[in-house]
Amino acid sequence: MAKKDKEDDEFRPTGTIAVLAIFVVTLIAIWATIYVILVQRGGTL
Amino acid sequence: MSTQKMHIDVYERNWLIFSAILLVLFATAVSVAAFGMGIQVPAPEQRVDPRTVATDPSSPWSNPGLREIAPGKYDAYILAHAIPNWEYLPKELTVPAGSVVTFYVTSSDVQHGFKIQNTNANFMVIPGQVSKLTIHFDKPGTYNYICTEYCGSGHGVMYGAITVTP
Amino acid sequence: MKQYQVSTAEKKFIGSHLLVAILALAVGSLFGPLQAFEHAGWDFYPYLRPLIKSYYQGLTVHGVLNALVWTTFFIMGFLTFNVIFGLKRPLKNPVLNKVGFWMMVVGVVTAAVPILTNQATVLFTFYPPLKANWAFYVGLTLVVVGSWVEGWGLFTTYLAWRKENANERTPFIAFASLITTLLWQICTLGVATEILTMLLPWSLGLIEGVDPQLARTYFWFTGHPLVYFWLLPAYISWYAFLPKQAGNGKMFSDTLARLAFWIFLILSTPLGFHHQYVDPGVPPAWKFIHSMLTFGVFFPSMMTAFTVVASLEHGARKNGGKGALAWIGKLNWSDPSVAAQLLAGILFFFGGIGGLANASYNINLVLHNTAFIPGHFHLTVATGVTLSFMGISYWLLPYLTGKKLWQPKWATIQAWAWFVGMIIFSNSMHVLGLLGAPRRVPLNLAPYVPAEWNSRLIQVGIGGAILFFSGFIYLLVMLKTALNKETVETEVEVPVAESLQDVSLTPEWLDRWAPWIYGTLALIVVVYGPVLFDLIKNISLTSPGFRVW
Repeated sequence: MAKKDKEDDEFRPTGTIAVLAIFVVTLIAIWATIYVILVQRGGTL
Repeated sequence: MSTQKMHIDVYERNWLIFSAILLVLFATAVSVAAFGMGIQVPAPEQRVDPRTVATDPSSPWSNPGLREIAPGKYDAYILAHAIPNWEYLPKELTVPAGSVVTFYVTSSDVQHGFKIQNTNANFMVIPGQVSKLTIHFDKPGTYNYICTEYCGSGHGVMYGAITVTP
Repeated sequence: MKQYQVSTAEKKFIGSHLLVAILALAVGSLFGPLQAFEHAGWDFYPYLRPLIKSYYQGLTVHGVLNALVWTTFFIMGFLTFNVIFGLKRPLKNPVLNKVGFWMMVVGVVTAAVPILTNQATVLFTFYPPLKANWAFYVGLTLVVVGSWVEGWGLFTTYLAWRKENANERTPFIAFASLITTLLWQICTLGVATEILTMLLPWSLGLIEGVDPQLARTYFWFTGHPLVYFWLLPAYISWYAFLPKQAGNGKMFSDTLARLAFWIFLILSTPLGFHHQYVDPGVPPAWKFIHSMLTFGVFFPSMMTAFTVVASLEHGARKNGGKGALAWIGKLNWSDPSVAAQLLAGILFFFGGIGGLANASYNINLVLHNTAFIPGHFHLTVATGVTLSFMGISYWLLPYLTGKKLWQPKWATIQAWAWFVGMIIFSNSMHVLGLLGAPRRVPLNLAPYVPAEWNSRLIQVGIGGAILFFSGFIYLLVMLKTALNKETVETEVEVPVAESLQDVSLTPEWLDRWAPWIYGTLALIVVVYGPVLFDLIKNISLTSPGFRVW
């Protein structure tokens, strides 16, 4: 059984949220850019 | 087994909920483009025999090219082949601006690709199958169509062009 | 506490996987930069003509050796290590594992002969009716079947362990490695069917023709989960080893890590149509369903992103890391194994973004078979996976051989060079793809390349040159380490991170196999069954073979 440090219980991954926030913003920006290209190039039916 | 409840950190749970919402939004945007704006991927059209598709007189690809089916509406039958010299037949098409062209593309030998630059026409050309998509050409100019699947040593030079006249 | 001792024979066995993997990488990586240089206008292929006949033969060598041989051998070696070390028990039937390994080696040699003699210039996707020499297909079959046999050796080892430890949770590294092995066994049924029912008899002249659309469908049944077979071993390292190496962090969520692996097992296979969005012979409704399932498999990667970053942060905070992002500097960047894996992880984020774009149904109309695709998978398999494997080898090789890592400083430089080179290469490939540049084309010779692509094409070459340098340093470090006269004083510690949460609290249903396996198979039948049934019912073996290279 893993020993539980007190600080382990108090650990809040705020830095992780910061990293993932940057990731998500980039993700949305890039994905949306390509989506706009798709829409501008028009229909196929 | 009451101790075995799943433990998920609250930050992590919120992250996962957020991820799920994001994916739903993307799926919605894609669906709107597909079912609302008619930006669709190819559907099964018809099957052909690649051994005779270019030679059988009853096959449209024995005489590839444009057919005007209504004013401003065209069917383009295009044959892709690696033998003898990696090309599309026809190599060039000309339509006036505002034309709606439906492409029917097949191969008489290996797999090819067909991508018309600056449009959403981009699909596989597979022997035995017919790939079909429709493109609206509103802006005058030259649109190259290029082979996007490896088809032998001439793959890199395989292309054609559509000229859209004003 | 002394760590579990893996026997010398088993260390040698695992090490021989690394040897084949690195040899393959050495040859295969020679050709990567050659493709990039060609794009930039520095074409070396004419000078190679006595040996390598064309750009496409070079591309075949690069794809087969790097994407198939380097990965598969490294992975089977690493998974074997994880199972032995994780379960703290020797292989149950080492002969079985050895037989599998040697089948794979014979397979690689068998396939290499036609590839090197220009009899199989069909690229690593070998789409029919391009027809390679039969030995190519025999070789591939032996590699796949050999990897199955090795997998069975791992399964029997697990079953033996389970008998001895009826009530224990399977240790994570073994658990995740076994799922990865199982995923591989299920998904390779597609390519095995393609080769055994069509390509092999056809190449031997037993049948006249093949059905190219059906062949593609079999191929991509394997082709996408193949990506997860590459990726999951890197995830195992990021989850379970990297937090320990980077700052004595603990694994943030054992439960979610295990759940992520089960979701990968279930969702990796039934989404192969996202490689066939623009195939004429697959109905759009099924393509759409596969695209939604692909979004689904993005989910466990989001879980992984959180758990891994949080595990790293946990270590960094304990070592005094502060701020929203400044804690990243507290990670153990001076360890080349850590630097390589962290940099691999950073670029993998961007690989994930491109992957999600590829997966987005009609967005594929913009991206399909453009340079965006190799741009994307050089961030995933060629960085997220490959640079991580390089990082793993920086501790694994010293562990296996007892030799000190030669010049860790150079190993660190190697990792950074890969990172920088890949950013330049991959960014320009993505942009070229959006501009309409096709993949698999010697763009320097293509007649339709507009002038506006030129600056990007040169960047592709510059990135390739930096990657060439990095690959060379990697091989040098590996070679010098293997031959190093300096040995380690005590056995290298295997850096397995503890779980932050008590592992015995991990729910028992996450350690049961049968329901997940049935679920996996059922979903495959539901989302592949109707289309495959239809394609097989209407099979038309009308394509004779072509050798047009």
